[in-house]
Amino acid sequence: MTLFSGTSAPRAKIDFQAVLGILGAFIFFLGFALLLPAAIDVFYGQDTWHSFLISAGIAFSVGAILWYTFKPKDEIHIREGFLIVSLTWLSLSFVGALPFVIAGVLPSFTDAVFETMSALTTTGSTILGGETSGGFINPDIEEIPKSFLLWRSLAHWLGGMGIIVLSLAILPLLGIGGMQLFQAESPGPTTDKLTPRVQETAKLLWGVYVAFTFAQFLLLWVHPAMDWFEAINHAFSTMATGGFSTKNASIEAFDSAYIDWVIILFMFIAGVNFAMHFRLIRGDHKSFFANREIRFYALIAMIGIFIVSGSLWLLDEYHILDALRYGAFQVLAILTTTGFGTDNYEVWNTVGAFFLFLLFFTGGCAGSTAGGIKMVRWMILIRNTSREIKQIMHPKAILPVRIGDQAITQNIQRTVLSFFILYIFIFALGAFIISLFGYDIMSSIGASIAAIGNIGPGWGDFGPTDNFAHLPYLGKWVLIFLMMVGRLEIFTVLILFSPAFWRQ
Amino acid sequence: MRITIIGAGEIGYELASILSSEKHDVIVLDRDKESLSKVSESLDVLPVEGNATSVKDLVKAQVGDADILISVTSIDEVNMISGMIGKRLGAKMVIARIRSDELTDKNSPLSPSDLGIDVMIHPELSAAQEIAQLLKRSSASDVINLANGKMQLIGIRLEKNSPLIKQNLNEYAANYPDLTFRVVAIGRRGRTIIPDGAVTIQSYDQIFILASTNDINAIIKTTGKKETVLNSVMIAGGSEIGEMLARILCEDKTKKWSIKLIEPNYDKAEELAIEMKEVMVLHGNPTDPDLLVTEGINEMDAFIAVTDDEESNIISCLMAKHLEVKKTVSLVSKADFIPMAQTIGLDAIINKKASASSEIHRYVRKGNVVSVAELRGIKAEVIELEASEGSEITKKPIKKLKLPQGCVVGAIICDQQVEIATGQTQINAKDRVIVFCLPNAIDKVTRLFQ
Repeated sequence: MTLFSGTSAPRAKIDFQAVLGILGAFIFFLGFALLLPAAIDVFYGQDTWHSFLISAGIAFSVGAILWYTFKPKDEIHIREGFLIVSLTWLSLSFVGALPFVIAGVLPSFTDAVFETMSALTTTGSTILGGETSGGFINPDIEEIPKSFLLWRSLAHWLGGMGIIVLSLAILPLLGIGGMQLFQAESPGPTTDKLTPRVQETAKLLWGVYVAFTFAQFLLLWVHPAMDWFEAINHAFSTMATGGFSTKNASIEAFDSAYIDWVIILFMFIAGVNFAMHFRLIRGDHKSFFANREIRFYALIAMIGIFIVSGSLWLLDEYHILDALRYGAFQVLAILTTTGFGTDNYEVWNTVGAFFLFLLFFTGGCAGSTAGGIKMVRWMILIRNTSREIKQIMHPKAILPVRIGDQAITQNIQRTVLSFFILYIFIFALGAFIISLFGYDIMSSIGASIAAIGNIGPGWGDFGPTDNFAHLPYLGKWVLIFLMMVGRLEIFTVLILFSPAFWRQ
Repeated sequence: MRITIIGAGEIGYELASILSSEKHDVIVLDRDKESLSKVSESLDVLPVEGNATSVKDLVKAQVGDADILISVTSIDEVNMISGMIGKRLGAKMVIARIRSDELTDKNSPLSPSDLGIDVMIHPELSAAQEIAQLLKRSSASDVINLANGKMQLIGIRLEKNSPLIKQNLNEYAANYPDLTFRVVAIGRRGRTIIPDGAVTIQSYDQIFILASTNDINAIIKTTGKKETVLNSVMIAGGSEIGEMLARILCEDKTKKWSIKLIEPNYDKAEELAIEMKEVMVLHGNPTDPDLLVTEGINEMDAFIAVTDDEESNIISCLMAKHLEVKKTVSLVSKADFIPMAQTIGLDAIINKKASASSEIHRYVRKGNVVSVAELRGIKAEVIELEASEGSEITKKPIKKLKLPQGCVVGAIICDQQVEIATGQTQINAKDRVIVFCLPNAIDKVTRLFQ
């Protein structure tokens, strides 16, 4: 029947109308998010509320026009899915950058887009503070209005679980090809569907996300060093594994062991697959604790804490409890690609600092809000390599790659391998381009991996005590691209650059 | 008895052949004309062409009057349905070949009795279990559990230098007064001897000893065979038997087996590799000497050849034997090949069809005789008889009875207790007695029990 009704017959052409229509829906949706900072402005009596209202108005009108003009009539196919997701993230960064420019907080549009993309992709690299290459002086984090602090954290939070996943959860419009979008946006090589309907899955994931965020908010709020506004911002930022803080000195500014440990705990939680969290909350302890990726993630975290804290204690002569606190915080901040700071790791001993550098290439679990290469990909790569070694000894043996009892299909192995190669290649290319602007090796490497891994702070001139303001504009656009490529896990964006994608 | 067999495949044919030769009335139903004509041409059975799940065809095959309905098509579901219909039509007993183990699972919502199935058989699983038994008793050529495993019947091929050579059975028994056992059959150059005490053991004899399971190890020692512990096994052929065996060994809780399995079909090999984590699956030809040597066949403790190609099973087992693998087991179902095994020096052979028929024989009564096991390569029958009130057998101890030629009393089962028979043993009424005898002695023995 479907063959004749034409609704799901294969279609060679990309349906650009449908792409624009759905893009419009997401832009419209961002308008609601822009209303929240405006409310904060009103609450604190600041005059920047109009910038958010104007931006929201633009989002609503552009979105509505696109949606009603190009309303999709057909199901979305995989190619349109990639295009929609990439264009959505790009255009939301542009729309989200508008308030910065309208209110005059940031003089340069590039900086505004950089800050918004960094927020949405949960990177946490900032251009706030210091002189830009264009000769402007960007304000410090603590100098900008509270509404903009909230806007940065809120963008983190929306981008963390995925703004498209959120739309799927609450907007009924996407019965059409929702799974394509869901997969294209979700981190990890495979997508864990909890329920038969994608909308239900999206709702459940967001439900878990909201619950954890609220719990962290309460735990932070009870501490006297944080008021409710700061607690909300940091809860948003932690659960999204973002890294934006309301303080110039990041979490170090609060100087509280309690706050550090709460954030350590929630960074760890945010780095775990949310589908597994859901199962745990449902009482399925077994599948949570038997999950190989979670175990591997916990193991890497423990090894990291052991080495980094141990080196701080023995080589940098920290008190043992301080070594544990600062070491664990930084290990989790980098492993989960959050990028908060409580200490300047660049002045640490080489052993601890180097191990932390290695962690820049890890990332959390698939299906978490973390960025990076991800645990499960590393597991598959490691297993694949040890399989190859075994294969040399037993040329005729058939040795499946396994994670736990689950055999990984050749397809996924190939995808993971090409993901890794592309990731390293893009990272290296990015670092090379940054080096062309006259930065040293560690700065170039740090900027590139911090952007593609959605981590935030890098090394050298982009270290935890510096920011990205001084990077020339072209370099900022390169990093904007890297952040998006990293967040959408390479293929979703890169496929748009392949001629085959556009062929009819 | 009236027996209807559904499915004229490998197993169905074998059963029809055995049962019809035992003078049962056998009806065979199959939908394939060709396999059916093969049955009707060579066997004295009634062929019925029809669908195993069609009530009309089952009625045509007189399933309602059958004492036993045996459903052995290659498809589980067909066997289930025809079993259900057969039971409703009035078949007294339904035996079905079910490969899936889900019905026997404790948590299964469906039990075999829900489907009207009285007995489930799984020839491949039985064969695999038998091989696993042989691996645990490395020196035996046959291991058969009797009386729920309380007793075992083991076959041992004696070497030239065995201490037993030139002893007669009375001397043998007298040398080991602490052990209770009975030599119940001897295979010698293709002939089967049901021995009395005066028979002398010769080199290369295959002797069958019945004993309590606990004594078996000590008895194996008396034959001069070393009971070696096997740890590594190479399985040639990922057929159902090979796969089942690998699974059984993986689940062995007493030790960790090192298992390699060779399968020539790549897709099948990959499937097995994915399913079985502990098994190293190799893709290649099981008779390829290069492959066997690269994978260290000479360091393996056991080699099991269970491919569908029986000739290559024999060849690859001989190759393994040549490379001094301690134990080889070969799947050989062709009747012509079975007697050869001893001559060419194979350790043990497994016969899938025999496994099936011995399972079914437990339910096929010839008068009050129940066959409990079949011995491979020799012609002796293992039967279970119940001594009737006032029968000849209950009147004197065994030594004083005049038992017919070619017959020996092995053991007595009384109130769940198992006792190995000796000369002094007195059989009482209602005792169940396990007797080993040549086929032509069955009638005479049976009379003693009535």
